[in-house]
Amino acid sequence: MRVTKGAQIVVGTALLALAVAACGGGGGDTSGAGSSAGTGAAGAVRVEIAEPQHDLIPGNTTETSGAEVLNALFVGLVDYDADKKPYNRVAESIESEDSKTWTIKLKTTYKWHNGEPVVAQNFVDSWNYTANGANAQEGNYFFGSIAGYDELNPGEGKTASATTLSGLKVVDDTTFTVELKNPFSGFPTMLGYTAFYGLPKAAFESEGKLKADFGSNPVGNGPFKMSKPWKRGSDQTISTVRNDDFSEGKAKIDAVDFKIYTDLNTAFNDLRAGNLDIMDQLPAEAISTAKNEFGDRYIEQPSSGVGYIGFPIKNGADYAKNKDIRKAISMAIDRKTITETVFSGTRVPADDFISPVVSGYRQGACGEACTYDPAKAKELFTSAGGASMGPIEIGYNADGGHKEWIEAVANNLRTNLGVEVTPKPVEKFATILDDLGAKKWSGSFRMAWIMDYPSPENYLRPIFGSGASSNYSGYADKKFDDLLTQGDSASSIEEGIKFYQQADDLLLQEMPYIPVYFYQTNGAYSNHVKNVKIDPFERIDLFNVEKA
Amino acid sequence: MGRYVIRRLLQAIPVLVGTTFLIFAIVYALPGDPLQALAGEKRVDPVFAAALREQFHLNDPLIVRYGYYVRDILSGDFGTTFRGLPVSTIFEGKFVVTFKLAMTALIFEAIIGVGLGFWAALRRGKWEDKAILAWTLLLVSIPTLVSGFVLQLVLGVSLKKALGFGLFPVAGVQDGWRSYLLPGFVLATVSIAYLTRLTRTSLMETLRADYVRTAVAKGMPRRRVLGRHALRNSLIPLVTYLGADLGTLMGGAVITETIFNLPGIGQQLFQSVYLRENDVVVGIVTVLVLIYILANLVVDLLYAVLDPRIRYE
Repeated sequence: MRVTKGAQIVVGTALLALAVAACGGGGGDTSGAGSSAGTGAAGAVRVEIAEPQHDLIPGNTTETSGAEVLNALFVGLVDYDADKKPYNRVAESIESEDSKTWTIKLKTTYKWHNGEPVVAQNFVDSWNYTANGANAQEGNYFFGSIAGYDELNPGEGKTASATTLSGLKVVDDTTFTVELKNPFSGFPTMLGYTAFYGLPKAAFESEGKLKADFGSNPVGNGPFKMSKPWKRGSDQTISTVRNDDFSEGKAKIDAVDFKIYTDLNTAFNDLRAGNLDIMDQLPAEAISTAKNEFGDRYIEQPSSGVGYIGFPIKNGADYAKNKDIRKAISMAIDRKTITETVFSGTRVPADDFISPVVSGYRQGACGEACTYDPAKAKELFTSAGGASMGPIEIGYNADGGHKEWIEAVANNLRTNLGVEVTPKPVEKFATILDDLGAKKWSGSFRMAWIMDYPSPENYLRPIFGSGASSNYSGYADKKFDDLLTQGDSASSIEEGIKFYQQADDLLLQEMPYIPVYFYQTNGAYSNHVKNVKIDPFERIDLFNVEKA
Repeated sequence: MGRYVIRRLLQAIPVLVGTTFLIFAIVYALPGDPLQALAGEKRVDPVFAAALREQFHLNDPLIVRYGYYVRDILSGDFGTTFRGLPVSTIFEGKFVVTFKLAMTALIFEAIIGVGLGFWAALRRGKWEDKAILAWTLLLVSIPTLVSGFVLQLVLGVSLKKALGFGLFPVAGVQDGWRSYLLPGFVLATVSIAYLTRLTRTSLMETLRADYVRTAVAKGMPRRRVLGRHALRNSLIPLVTYLGADLGTLMGGAVITETIFNLPGIGQQLFQSVYLRENDVVVGIVTVLVLIYILANLVVDLLYAVLDPRIRYE
């Protein structure tokens, strides 16, 4: 009965809206399409993104939406295959004898959208620009390992003593060399990242100065090119068309429109209505519907993020300093239930510090410590004296949708360890980071890491290296650092991974953080397209997408 | 009347100064480092942050920063966001979108609200009246968030699937004026209900007035009595309501714009408060205050048109 009434009301409202639309609406808003409404090309494949934070400049793009667009416009020196291993794309070869000085040779077939050939100088110019602190590019820190970086970024209040990286040298049109500060065997894995794309000569006004309008209408070397400039802040669509001169051949679709949404639910409704073709991120509430509704066109695959609970092991409360208690807490968390119920399957239980998207991940590496075992956890907790150490505090930012899983973890700990737990919401994540930096935060805290480049090293050094930029636990172990250095100076990527895994083992013993879940990519696409693939960077392989 | 308009506009100046300073102070008083928002969950690079702090005068006291802000505004510079986007660019497209949305909503309100209220008043006590009253109660009690998503799903997604073509766009402004119909209606729902009730009461009261009885008694046609005497005199409270509502609609479009992905200022305001983009927030609020002031002025001037006894000096 109730349902019928509700339906009547909805239908009534709908009819009324229709009637009004017919008589009144037309008179109301006759100005037609807003000038800000980007009307895309007919037949273009429509891809959902959020608004890119900056203009479309590779070195200034560190978020996924801008990277998605740039991925259509540019190809980098390397790219990543299905096994997450880098393979050469614009690069002909990337070689080094000591993992410190790298010689990069380019293929001669690539051209910029304006017809210029892609030459070594393009990469050197682009990298110098991004690495220059004065240009305030968000991708600046990626270049920290290259020789000469410190001269360009001398720190607050000091003037830079150089304008170019001393480690970059052009040998000839197709060859340049990169000298690193320290050996790093994984260097080639970094080169597929957005910040390392080259820029054509036409991008620069004069040496080291980018043209003001380049970011709204970038000239790339990729399978698609801009069909008209994008006006950030007002245009809702970024329109690209196929680059028929692309040296790897023509893409199978004519055009791609990147449509900007602020709300994932809205985008999902548009996908269901057939007004949108590809979403690489679905709203969590929609996962179960999407599985049924989209069937084969639903995508589920691991992404690069890892969620942790971290401990200030040097400056924190007693329980945070005790390794056995950290292990006990880890064993008392029912990861499987949390990922399945709280996250409706959009996360998977973590069993390593290294994400499954990079080679070097070992399934079950965490072993017993990440396996749900309430009895053993309680035993360990009691024998380590956990009961006398006061309530366990778990800090989280209230703005990011973390409340539910933190509460679930808290309940796990209460039930399984018999300890008092206080979830502590904080307005913004930055507040927790500030307090940790100022050594004012003593409880545990939620934490997450999304990779910058697909190397296991990226899951270890920035977070757990002594004094590293994102080391909030205070973990410092000489042996760990040494193993990373050994991995860096290894003769090959595979050789390096062995050392990184040993370092990983040390972490798994000490547990400064508890890995809780791995993020997943949950996407879907309409029946207008097929062959949709998403890489570990959550970028869509638009070159191979086909119309269905 | 010209002098009256000028005086009213001059009065707006202290109001503007006061509100901008207040908003400025409030936004700056929010806890946390605005620059941290730039780096998301990572720590912002200290050198980078220091350069921006210098550029945006974040190290100066509040009053000095406000001084800089006013100086820039007076020279026509609305400032830039921390991400280097001129605030004027944000205004360009976004105010138009929100204005169109608010106007659509206002038209829905005026037509449906006044129409239904009028009808209900004439049918006082009959089943039509009761049905309309019940319907308005329902409208008031459904939150915009619910009505927005339900209508989007029913009229946007399901109807398109059933018909094979989209009558109402699900999201975005790509379809011209049709894009604004659904969000405009959703935005207007609550006001429609109030306006219906207001019209009904106002008209019923006028119908009981002496001059209406006189008009009927001297044999004037019913249509003329209603249109010329009753309706025109009951319009004053309605115009007041509509005028004030324009400002509310423009400022309160956050949810509607988000659901229907309209790139308007409501959305922008929410994001900017969250990201602590002070210049954007203050700029938007300033323009909203201006719209409020102007709308109220128009309303006051309309009184004289509706009721010639009202004079301005």
